[in-house]
Amino acid sequence: MPYDDLRSFLDTLEKEGQLLRIPDEVLPEPDIAAAANAAGRIGEGAPALWFDRVKGFTDARIVMNVHGSWRNHALALGLPKDTSPREQVEEFARRWDAFPVAPERRADAPWQDNTLTGDDVDLFRVLPLFRLNDGDGGFYLDKAAVVSRDPDDPDHFGKQNLGTYRMEVVGRDRLALQPVPVHDIAQHLRTAEERGEDLPVAITLGNDPVIPIVAGMPLRYDQSEYEMAGALRGAPMPIATAPHTGLDVPWGAEVVIEGVIESRVRQIEGPFGEFTGHYSGGRRMPVIRVERISYRTDPVFESLYLGMPWTECDYLVGPNTSVPLLKQLRAEFPEVRAVNAMYTHGLLVIISTAKRYGGFAKAVGMRAMTTPHGLGYVSQVILVDEDVDPFDLPQVMWAQSAKVNPREDVVVVPNLSVVALAPASQPPGVTSKLIIDATTPVAPDVRGDFGTPVKDLPETAEWTARLRTLLAGR
Amino acid sequence: MSDRNTPHLVCPRCADEAVSTVTDSPVPGVWQVLQCARCLYMWRTTEPARRTRREDYPAGFRLTAEDIATAPEVPAVPPLPTR
Repeated sequence: MPYDDLRSFLDTLEKEGQLLRIPDEVLPEPDIAAAANAAGRIGEGAPALWFDRVKGFTDARIVMNVHGSWRNHALALGLPKDTSPREQVEEFARRWDAFPVAPERRADAPWQDNTLTGDDVDLFRVLPLFRLNDGDGGFYLDKAAVVSRDPDDPDHFGKQNLGTYRMEVVGRDRLALQPVPVHDIAQHLRTAEERGEDLPVAITLGNDPVIPIVAGMPLRYDQSEYEMAGALRGAPMPIATAPHTGLDVPWGAEVVIEGVIESRVRQIEGPFGEFTGHYSGGRRMPVIRVERISYRTDPVFESLYLGMPWTECDYLVGPNTSVPLLKQLRAEFPEVRAVNAMYTHGLLVIISTAKRYGGFAKAVGMRAMTTPHGLGYVSQVILVDEDVDPFDLPQVMWAQSAKVNPREDVVVVPNLSVVALAPASQPPGVTSKLIIDATTPVAPDVRGDFGTPVKDLPETAEWTARLRTLLAGR
Repeated sequence: MSDRNTPHLVCPRCADEAVSTVTDSPVPGVWQVLQCARCLYMWRTTEPARRTRREDYPAGFRLTAEDIATAPEVPAVPPLPTR
């Protein structure tokens, strides 16, 4: 049963013991961000955090870390909370095959109940805003979905984009926006600015739990995030028409902010502690003028802490980065068994593959670098055998330690493309890339003494199940 | 944005004196949100000193007028078509 809004998902998290209500009064800073930061430090299974006693506010409702553990991510996909990361990625990939699933347009969206327009527009009246990290230039919206259309093809539903981009609150009715040039919204903005026109946008906050997953997913330019949400939900995504811009927005959102990116305007933005575990900022970025805010009665403000990994951001973009790479690699190389692209949005990727012949695994590694996402990420690839689980890091380290002969199995390719946010790139946007082939050589590659591997005993799988049953029954 | 200036304050980040009040706490008198007109830094008066006081603001995050003037555009503004 898919969730149509954030509130129904929070009910499930609470029933499953995965939502923790903070009973004490807290300061907006540094308490809320520090608590969400700490959620990533207390081990696996961390809950979402709910705050409704925040000093100085009269009716704040803030939720953090909604996707911030494997349990919560599993529940967001409607899976049992103990589903392993690898199983979650496999199920995600299986549901992808249903794409596209047409959305369902609904009337009477709950966010139509309250509206601010004209001089009444004030982000601070609706949102209990707060700072995340010390060096952040201000208060950010970092888990909102931004909707825009291609000005050259405004009726193409697939080219309508829904994406997560960082936005800094720079006034009661103004937001700075970061459209990295490789992102779809940057294409829309470029077209609008070449015409000297503003670009209409709708920003939706507090969405059902599948929207943040698809909004951060590297889909093709003309693929609809709503049609992917339908595939992941197993049911059409409910959408509604935003009243001021006519853009399609999630029916169940807590808050819908509409306005325009002002054409050909840039102003100082940031810094902001980013998913790379480093700040980026000190750049002049586009500005959104907010013209209308619609919101549910008693809106819930959902935000996300990100900083030194792992944080909620890593759980949110781990599977949704692994699956497109897995699908793209398998399309050409069915030998690929599993892809773990969960490190810094896929800057490092671990791929498990069978080998067609000697040298094959290195080719798979090079192909990963030349996928659409790989052009901006995938600066290090570790290849492991088909019986090594790329999500089991001790096993990956065993493969690397036992199988790699560095002179032949480590390849560095200079001067390739990467996102400019990658802290090690030099100059920003350019990096060398690395392949570590930790697979067992196969003919005609006859290096090493790998003829007699010790395999798990044939009876081990049965005993694994037996031990689990005995442990569970104690 | 409010025109109410608070001239006794300086921006913790760039030391500019053009600081204005963006909003007040819904519970009266608990905090204010302030903003620097030059570098746009925004802060709440109840935040730790490392974020609110010039003398405690980390050197690594400070900005100068030159930093702001020379900051690169991301993305660059494209040329208008010639007619």
